[in-house]
Amino acid sequence: MNKAVSVGSLAVGAEIRGPVKHINPERIEWYDSAMLSAAKNELAQVGSNIHTDDDYARDEGFPGVMADGMMMTNWCSTMLIDHFGMDYIERGELRTKFIKPAYLDIMLHVRGKVLAVDKTENGSLYTLDVWCEDEKGTKLVDGHAKVEVRPAG
Amino acid sequence: MLGGYISDLEAGDVFEPVEYELTAFMVREYAHGVEENWEGYHAPAVNGRQIRPPTMVHVDKMRILEKNCRKEKRVSGDKGPAARVHYEYFARHHGPAYVGETLIVSGRITDRYIKRGRDYLDYYLEVKTLDGRLVTTYTDKTLLAYKPVEEARK
Repeated sequence: MNKAVSVGSLAVGAEIRGPVKHINPERIEWYDSAMLSAAKNELAQVGSNIHTDDDYARDEGFPGVMADGMMMTNWCSTMLIDHFGMDYIERGELRTKFIKPAYLDIMLHVRGKVLAVDKTENGSLYTLDVWCEDEKGTKLVDGHAKVEVRPAG
Repeated sequence: MLGGYISDLEAGDVFEPVEYELTAFMVREYAHGVEENWEGYHAPAVNGRQIRPPTMVHVDKMRILEKNCRKEKRVSGDKGPAARVHYEYFARHHGPAYVGETLIVSGRITDRYIKRGRDYLDYYLEVKTLDGRLVTTYTDKTLLAYKPVEEARK
């Protein structure tokens, strides 16, 4: 397995798209329980936190529950693995900043844009803006990614 | 200060490392939980081996906090004085982590500061294999509480 799609056509200014996801309680529970299961190496069920419990979220100063930021980071990562394959795993980086909460019922869009393509000793270094926005175009997650792409050998 | 709550951590604290074997179950559960369908995360499909999503470095953060902040164990379900809010994730990937490998997570607190009334904690973590191969370097910024510091003290 390597690149899912060719990055050869990704020039500066090219836009890429990742998953489109509705934020709902089930998705939040899937992530939170999976994270705990991975940490414990056994099936686990998330308990009360700011992502699952409205009362607790309000006590902590939020209007209600919200998606875990790592859900969005993972969907950005999905976009990068889909476009860059193993180059992203072996020589990539991803930064995400959770600048606004993603509350329930938002339709989240994962996006990216190529900012630069620079030659390196072994290939090409792609620098991208990466972000998540709601259906109105309001940015909720801002970030960037870099991937050094090397010719298939 | 190590050994207490996460909110007791201070700049300069060096975590006691965590060592564990990466299992197929961990990787599949995590990938499934984020609806990640790339087959390399679910089966030995990368040159005959299964790899983890690089974002699983965040689970390593949970692991190292569980070991080093004994009064607050989020993985075990114990809450601290306030809910923390993850603000920034930044992972550099140096190579894949394969199922069956033993991973060692080490790290430290690089900074703690108040900005616009909120208490921030900065982490640096490294994930290596048992034979010293670097997998991921990671920095993280977390708010210790969403409520501003003065409001939280009322």
